[in-house]
Amino acid sequence: MNLRIESSQGLAEAGASNRIDRMDRAIVNPGGADKTAQFGSELGKAIGEIDKLQNAADTQADAVARGAGNIHEMALALEKADVAMRLAMRVRTKLVDTYNEIMRMGI
Amino acid sequence: MDFLTALHVSGSGLSAERTRVNLASSNLANAETTRGPNGKPYQRLDPVFQSIHMGAQDEAPTVGQSPLGVQVSQIVSDPSPGKMVYSPGHPDADANGFVTFPNVNPISEIVNLLSASRAFEANATAVETLKTMASRGLDITR
Amino acid sequence: MRVFDNTLARLERALDVRLVRQNVLSANVANVDTPGFKPKDVDFTATMAAIDGAAHDPGGVSLPKTPTLGSSTSDTSGLAAHDLPIVDVPAGGASFDGNTVDLDRTMVAMAENALQYGASAKAAGKKLAILRYVVSDGQG
Repeated sequence: MNLRIESSQGLAEAGASNRIDRMDRAIVNPGGADKTAQFGSELGKAIGEIDKLQNAADTQADAVARGAGNIHEMALALEKADVAMRLAMRVRTKLVDTYNEIMRMGI
Repeated sequence: MDFLTALHVSGSGLSAERTRVNLASSNLANAETTRGPNGKPYQRLDPVFQSIHMGAQDEAPTVGQSPLGVQVSQIVSDPSPGKMVYSPGHPDADANGFVTFPNVNPISEIVNLLSASRAFEANATAVETLKTMASRGLDITR
Repeated sequence: MRVFDNTLARLERALDVRLVRQNVLSANVANVDTPGFKPKDVDFTATMAAIDGAAHDPGGVSLPKTPTLGSSTSDTSGLAAHDLPIVDVPAGGASFDGNTVDLDRTMVAMAENALQYGASAKAAGKKLAILRYVVSDGQG
């Protein structure tokens, strides 16, 4: 794009061309894509496990409601689901806060 | 095996011992009954205990995976002969003037009563212990 | 990331085994007057050792029932009686009808079992309470 070439020529004395080159390379060949994909899949996995815990807690509570459940298993499952959900909420809040922080920064 | 099964097992023990107590009481009460409803002297009764596999309340028990409870499979009457007492004026005396009294020995009936009552209490303690355990299990959630 | 660690898993297993043992001991008490009955018990330390061994080498006794964050397996089949070494209690002395239940010893074992169950439950509850406190940032 012409605009980019002109601005890179204009800033050459300031030594900003290096940075712009790097940014160009990042746009053309995003080497950070692997990291992004990793984070996404990790997040998905973690959410899946939290979901598993919630379901396990549900199953146990169901069993007790039907009269066939094991009391300490139900209590443990509920507690684990509680802790996991709180952790998930904390992580979510942190992520949202971080996102807002970045958006506020401006470039 | 869970709490319900254990309660069921102890409950079976309580029922069986209660039956034993009832029978011992009945024997004691009829220690001198020379003529019962069938016209013959009272014969003392004994419970026959038998182990059975127990599941929880509504489930069919799976043999090998469920604990053993107890049930009174039958109540048998003791065929041993009673005491013969010479008492010619008694309305139930036979041709020779002997009256057949029931084959009840009050001492052994009282021993049975005490033993059954001790077993009953042991089962009741088992139920209490189970209740305590269950409440501790529930306390895991705060 | 393991939020729920091995200690908690072991406590869960201990609770399960203690409950099975309570069932077995209750069965002994219920059958104290049954002719020919042989009392049974669960060897607790041996069972827990076996579970520990199996956890490092899967294919043995089942792992915790509730999934553990970060663990690779979550076996929901549970701990059945056939997994545990339920052994016959050696007879103390002679008995005239074949019943070898020692009622007093059984009651003591039952009391001890219940106490240990309570202790394990308390420990598990406390661990989870600590986690909850940390995760909630000190509130609730």
